[in-house]
Amino acid sequence: MTTNTSLAPGPSTRRRRVSSIGFRVFTYGSLILIIAPAAWILLGVLFRALPHWRWSVLWTPLTAAGGGLRDQIIGTLLLMLGVLILAGTIGVLAGIHLSEMAKLKKNGKPSGGLLRTGSDILSGFPSIVLGYVGYAALVLYFHWGFSYLAAVIVLSVMVVPYIAKTTENSLRQVPTAYREGAEALGMSMGYSLRKVVLKTALPGIVTGVLLALAIAGGETAPLIYTANFANTVPHSLTHASFPYLTYVVFSFYDSSQVQYHYLAYDAALILVVMVLILLVATRVIVARTQRHAEGARTRTRSPRKPPKPGPDEAVDLVDLPLPR
Amino acid sequence: MTSVGGVAGDVPATPPGRPAPRESPFRRVADMFRANEEKGWRWSARVAVLLPLVALVFAITVLAIKAWPAIRVNGWYFLYGKNWTYGHSYGATVHTNGVAHAAGAQFGAWPLILGTLQSSFIAIVVAVPLSIGAAFALTERMPSWVSRPLGFAIEILAGIPSVVIGLWGLLTFGPWLAKHIYPTLASIASDLPNVWPFNYFRQPVGTGEGLLTAGLVLGMMIIPIIASTTRELFVQVPSLPKEGGEALGMTHWEVANRITLPWVRSGIIGGTVLGLGRALGETIAVVLVGGASLHIAPNIYQPFGTIAATILSQLDGAQADGTGFAVATLAELALVLAVISVGVNLAARFIITRTGRTGGPVGTGA
Amino acid sequence: MTKLMRATRLRRGVIAVAAAGLALSSVVLSTAASASIKLPSSGVEKPSSGTVTETGSTLLYPLFNLWVGGYNETYPNVTVQTAGTGSGTGISDAENGTIDIGASDAYLAPSVTAASPDLKNIPLAISSQMVAYNIPGVLSHLKLTGKVLSAIYQGTITKWNASQIASLNPGVTLPSIPIVTLHRSDSSGDTFLFTSFLSKTDPSGWGAKIAYNTTVPWPAAPGALGETGNSGMVTGCKATPGCIAYVGISYLTQALQAGLGYASLQNAKGQYEVPTAASIAAEAASFVKKTPANGTISLIYGPASGGYPIVNYEYAIVSTHQSSSATAKGIRSLLEWSISPKHGAATSYLAQVNFQPLPSKVEAQSVKQILSIS
Repeated sequence: MTTNTSLAPGPSTRRRRVSSIGFRVFTYGSLILIIAPAAWILLGVLFRALPHWRWSVLWTPLTAAGGGLRDQIIGTLLLMLGVLILAGTIGVLAGIHLSEMAKLKKNGKPSGGLLRTGSDILSGFPSIVLGYVGYAALVLYFHWGFSYLAAVIVLSVMVVPYIAKTTENSLRQVPTAYREGAEALGMSMGYSLRKVVLKTALPGIVTGVLLALAIAGGETAPLIYTANFANTVPHSLTHASFPYLTYVVFSFYDSSQVQYHYLAYDAALILVVMVLILLVATRVIVARTQRHAEGARTRTRSPRKPPKPGPDEAVDLVDLPLPR
Repeated sequence: MTSVGGVAGDVPATPPGRPAPRESPFRRVADMFRANEEKGWRWSARVAVLLPLVALVFAITVLAIKAWPAIRVNGWYFLYGKNWTYGHSYGATVHTNGVAHAAGAQFGAWPLILGTLQSSFIAIVVAVPLSIGAAFALTERMPSWVSRPLGFAIEILAGIPSVVIGLWGLLTFGPWLAKHIYPTLASIASDLPNVWPFNYFRQPVGTGEGLLTAGLVLGMMIIPIIASTTRELFVQVPSLPKEGGEALGMTHWEVANRITLPWVRSGIIGGTVLGLGRALGETIAVVLVGGASLHIAPNIYQPFGTIAATILSQLDGAQADGTGFAVATLAELALVLAVISVGVNLAARFIITRTGRTGGPVGTGA
Repeated sequence: MTKLMRATRLRRGVIAVAAAGLALSSVVLSTAASASIKLPSSGVEKPSSGTVTETGSTLLYPLFNLWVGGYNETYPNVTVQTAGTGSGTGISDAENGTIDIGASDAYLAPSVTAASPDLKNIPLAISSQMVAYNIPGVLSHLKLTGKVLSAIYQGTITKWNASQIASLNPGVTLPSIPIVTLHRSDSSGDTFLFTSFLSKTDPSGWGAKIAYNTTVPWPAAPGALGETGNSGMVTGCKATPGCIAYVGISYLTQALQAGLGYASLQNAKGQYEVPTAASIAAEAASFVKKTPANGTISLIYGPASGGYPIVNYEYAIVSTHQSSSATAKGIRSLLEWSISPKHGAATSYLAQVNFQPLPSKVEAQSVKQILSIS
């Protein structure tokens, strides 16, 4: 760098100013380039679905001539419920293990590296490959046929790593002081886990589970080969194809019947609304629990001002507002 | 006042002068539960954490078993060959290496492997700079009434089902690109020398269903993943070095480039690999937007095929081959994709552990 | 021998004889039961409540939906689920047993019948396929031959005003736009029919290099696009000026509404025919004698004079070995209704999709195959 001894801005300063402004433009520009397509997608779905929207789509069953999406909506919700029960339990338990029970190795790092690696690899595994394995093993080899059970199992396998990771992260954020305090008070491990640790980490865990449900509800590829598709919700867990919304979007958009095009757009709108509800729910949960958490600002005004020191008194450091 | 014995915190201490409470049978059952509760938690957690690993091993084993007949016949040609033919399934059945298949069946998956790598490459090239830039913008001192909705918008983009994004790409985005963006790109490319990579961008521009559209759509899908991990990393960078840099007169760009980015470099790599994994395995969006071709795309606007999209669209028809060879080949294709995905994941973990957790403090050159 | 040994041996012998007797009687009874499946005088058996699932050919799908509507008027206790997913899916799902009736334009390959001898292809109706195109300004029926189509799909003829096409159509002004070939990316019976036609008319070219199948390695013609389903072919062709696509005849109304034209193809006698009821029926009639009892025959490029060259039987792929007799009865009932001239094979249904009813001899053969489902 050339040393600039005069006070006037030199060439390197101009360069730095240009690069700084360019950086600002780039960052805000990227933000716009990301938000704009997201808004475009949402608006696109709205503009295609709203002109032909009928509220009866929500409670009319699907027929060969058109109809509604009642059973498909119920089907997606039932799939989410199954994933909640199966993957929710397994994922949370796995997260508990990874954060609470992994024994420390000699160098102080938590063990369970192989398990965590396996979980990470599974989270990045292509969904169509899991769908094919589910098809070959559950649908064909076990002779379950296209079924609700096969679909729930494959979806759960897909989201368990995600739930385990979010559970582990929220559990790690619980201060060790809580756990040590519980142990000092003589609580058993199970009791402290239930009443102290999990309760504190619950918002984070619930957020993770809700997001996993959003992911599972939006999947198509693995469901095509495990649940196929149906017009109505069947009465058995196996040997009956299962309805769900994403297939409607995938295959009805260029159907020979125009009514089915509208159903495809309606299904897209319903899916987006479901995802929005889940996201808003996670935000509400986080906000409500933060209101009661330690150190939360429950008053919107500035905190009480410390007493002004008198002319000879030194300012007592204790009275200064603590940094958060 | 301490409680008797070491167990549990809700047995009330008996103050002096009061008779001890009676031992009820429920208390004994509750004690038994409490004593075994820890064992219950430990064992169920242990089983639960093993299940992903078991599922992974099960999946790869099933794939290997189903793909074995095809591996024996297709050999290495599968990885470099360019022809994908089911052969004459209405003709005679022949045997090679003891495996029955239709005469003339030949499966070379190189165009699909190349298509997968091409589309993921475009997605990464588009997504990484935009995500990092947006993460910087979001962690600047922005009023919360701006940054919160924007963060929410990115979360929504992450949650939109890929089939909806794919349909939008097919019906709205692709045609718009083909009408407004691609002709401009093609005319710029025709002014540039006729060598790779410029000639790849020349005419014909197609209808919007093709490699570039699919790459852009995939990029849009992985941006939320990379942006949110990067943003969380930026928040964790301690403010002291950054403020020190600003106090020394560094511009925003220099602070970002010389302090923040080196700090979070391996974390960004981790986030990028997460996004790459999603792009490699994305099926539905590519089926809708990429056209369905089993050939290498002649230029960047033309239809192409990826492994995942081909498995989805060909699996049904492959079973119409009574010898089962076509299905075994698709299983082999799935195995190749699984190996690529696992390899990318392991390589990224290797890079991250080599370069340290989140980068060293400023000045260590990490 | 001790008394105990004798007693044990006697007991064992009695048990063995009783078991054999039971087995024999059950075999006799079951064969008697299946042999005693007879058509009632109405021609359609009355089913018990249940669900019948169907998937497969998009060419048959519109008609199958019409049939289900009519069938449920008489038998509302049976729920029929239909889907249009491609003939390959119909065949494979029927093979796997994951679906009850698979619909297919293509008969079963020898490898499939060898692997699953219980699987039958039962002709239900006669359908046809047209070659549609989207050429701005050309509204008449272009004359095309199989050899020209083969060259187009191989990429050797790339523009609509090429000499080979122009020489066949002297009065028509063909624009100089490039030809965009559309093919089915899913496993399709329409692909099977079209490639059979190309193989028969161009045996040394297409027949030798690519042959016919539900999925073929389409040559890299410039700009070639893959579409899903017959409806995808129609919407794709509508969106692409200069396109050429093979579309099932049940989508004729949609194609005309989309502004597509369709070609008159040259048959084996050298005549150029459009797919009308007469030309389709003429072609099918020439194959009636040759149709075997199992229905496996190609009706493409027949010798009939005045016959349209791309005609086929629409097949129901069903396994004769069903898991429950109630399901079997439901399947039989639905299929009997569909091919009965009083019900499904009436003109009121078939005319809506431009299909033709089965000739009576073929219908009798189909009924016999249907009765073997149990």
